Amino acid sequence: MFRLLLRFLLTALCAVFLLFPLQVCAAENSFIDEIQQRGFLKVGLPPYNTPPAYYLDPGSDDLQGYDVDLATGLAEKLGVDVQFDRSSTSFNELVQRVGADDFDIAIGKLGLTYKRLFDAFPIQYLSFRHALLADRSFISSLGTDPDDPKFGDVLRNAKMRVGSIENSTWETESRANFPNAEFVGFKNWSAAKKALTNHDAKSDGPKIDAIYRDATEIKPIVYEKPVLSLKFVPILFDDIIDRKSIYLSEKGKVGFSDFLDNYLKREWGGIKSDKNILDDFQAFYLPSDS
Amino acid sequence: MTATTPSEKSIYQRIFAILPLLRKPRNFFFYILPFSIILGRLIPPSTAATFNDAGVAMVQIIAFPAIPLVLTAVMISIANIFSVSERSREDRFRFSSRFVVSLSIALLFGSVLALLLSLYQAPGVLSPDAKLSIGRFMLDVTDIRVGEIPIVESTVNSLWIANIIPSNIFADASSGQTLKVISGSILAGLAISRLKRDLTQPLITLLRSVNTISVQLLYIVLNLAPLVLICLIAGAVSTINAEIVVALLNFTICVFLTAVASLGVSRLVFRRFTSSRERAGLNVNPVDSIFLLSLSTGSSMTAYPLMFQTLKSMGRDESEVEASASLSLLIARLGNVTYNVIAIIFALNLYDVALTPFRLAEVAALGIVTGISAAGLTGVATVPTIAVALLYFQVPAPPVLVLLLAIDPILTLPRAATTGVLAMSISVISSVRSSPASDSNPSDTNLGLLAQSSDDSVFEVG
Repeated sequence: MFRLLLRFLLTALCAVFLLFPLQVCAAENSFIDEIQQRGFLKVGLPPYNTPPAYYLDPGSDDLQGYDVDLATGLAEKLGVDVQFDRSSTSFNELVQRVGADDFDIAIGKLGLTYKRLFDAFPIQYLSFRHALLADRSFISSLGTDPDDPKFGDVLRNAKMRVGSIENSTWETESRANFPNAEFVGFKNWSAAKKALTNHDAKSDGPKIDAIYRDATEIKPIVYEKPVLSLKFVPILFDDIIDRKSIYLSEKGKVGFSDFLDNYLKREWGGIKSDKNILDDFQAFYLPSDS
Repeated sequence: MTATTPSEKSIYQRIFAILPLLRKPRNFFFYILPFSIILGRLIPPSTAATFNDAGVAMVQIIAFPAIPLVLTAVMISIANIFSVSERSREDRFRFSSRFVVSLSIALLFGSVLALLLSLYQAPGVLSPDAKLSIGRFMLDVTDIRVGEIPIVESTVNSLWIANIIPSNIFADASSGQTLKVISGSILAGLAISRLKRDLTQPLITLLRSVNTISVQLLYIVLNLAPLVLICLIAGAVSTINAEIVVALLNFTICVFLTAVASLGVSRLVFRRFTSSRERAGLNVNPVDSIFLLSLSTGSSMTAYPLMFQTLKSMGRDESEVEASASLSLLIARLGNVTYNVIAIIFALNLYDVALTPFRLAEVAALGIVTGISAAGLTGVATVPTIAVALLYFQVPAPPVLVLLLAIDPILTLPRAATTGVLAMSISVISSVRSSPASDSNPSDTNLGLLAQSSDDSVFEVG
């Protein structure tokens, strides 16, 4: 009887080990251990919709996008669920919050600036060229042929009005890369696009000459409305690269950066360029028939 | 063995006999053009580059006799016209003034004609569908890249006149610097005209010989014209965006209308400035032949031997015909002047620039300047000359050039035809009948060799 009871106990113990290995085998890495103990990965996302990176699907109201898939894949490798937090009011606040350990990671096409390096630790996963969508008349008024090697310097030093999202990396980058330009901040990207392509003097104020963001945000504007190509031209800066990064706290940098780095190399396929993203997500950028 | 040789020979003969027949403008419209379009629709776009390369290679062969032809024709004619011993001061002044005045009037006329037709046809005023087609076509093509490593080192900007001043006539000729060759030939011709006849005669004989050989060579290589057209049109049709052609229909029609209007005016000029006695020996209007020949080959220079032969056979002064025909074909480039005016109006309309009377005058002037600056350039290479005008009006040049280049394989034909017929007008106005003495004493072998080919299709009229 005792031996039978002993056999039953041993079998049950083996079954528990087999069925719940992770819960039993606690990680030695305290950062990962904490996530596993909690049972979900806390991911900070910007409060915007930026397809195909991160956005609420209009039909299902589910979060979708390649940044969402990346975070979900990470959680799967950790053996936990994923929980997204979109309560930050700006990109900069999101980075500050991950630095303060509000989340395990912050993701969402977050650019790299000196200011953000004060707050958190970046791991690069995208490499996007900076880009402008500029009014062709403004470009002509510069008086330098775009094929002229001097054109880049002329443009960078031009007196112009550049629009983008306020309190974003683009505000900082605009001041650094276009020292003579006036930055005009907009609440969101749609407002910036409208101010350039469908300007209304009453609501948008003085006309802006260009809008500024990375190539994956600039190129789709003309893909969606090809007729805009007549009036506006994408300008791609091959020498100004936005190192889009996933941000970690100090604890996360110590305990999670190797795991994240390994995941990015093996599962994500290394650092992706704007061209890779535009090719991979063509469906989002196909010209509309309208 | 002996039985097969004649049959093989006859096959080759048959094959090579087809090419001159195909050069007839009538055959161009009825056979070559439809065949090339159908071929272009059938071949996969991946092979279009091969067709285009083959066409361009053959164009290079056709252009090969152009430089020696220009060099010798200009040098001989200038030497004859300005020869102190052979011509009076009044004769020299008469030809120079007639040539300059007729050239200036032709430039002004071409520019105004193109301007009026542009205002009537309104190229660049597009429907929403046409704008969408153009927008789609421009995607990715007109993006500006900043900071990329330049593929070609930037050229040092030099004064525009440096492109005209000859450095070494043989070096200029070998590097295809047509403008420098022309100016060098004019200077050399002037120098020859100041020397005694016995000193210059060996050189004149040599130049005349080179000229005659070049003309004959042009006839031979012109046999390739049908193949050139088949390759270029098929290649263009295979890749050209039909939507763009439709979107730019007004522009295309305007260029063709200008060519037809130029033909009409040239016919009138030919009638007005030639006597019925001069026209008595002609069965057909040579202006029509020049129009169709230039149109079907896409090169106005191919009309030079026909212009020379026609006016010479009418009794016009050989040297004056030689000088006026070659210079007006090469320098005036009236087809480019009219085309550039239409293209500038197209760009201004496209970007909603108001067309005030003063601006229209600026367009006419810039059309002439940029058109003349195309001298020495051929085909598609002439299109970017309008960039200067677009820059002046602060209109975006890259998208306009992209659109113009897309449809240029079609428009290069009427452009060449316009240059050909208006150059004929200049030649008819500026040359006069030669004296009876020189009529009875043909001084060169050109006529003989041209007559030898006179049954050729070059003189055929469709």
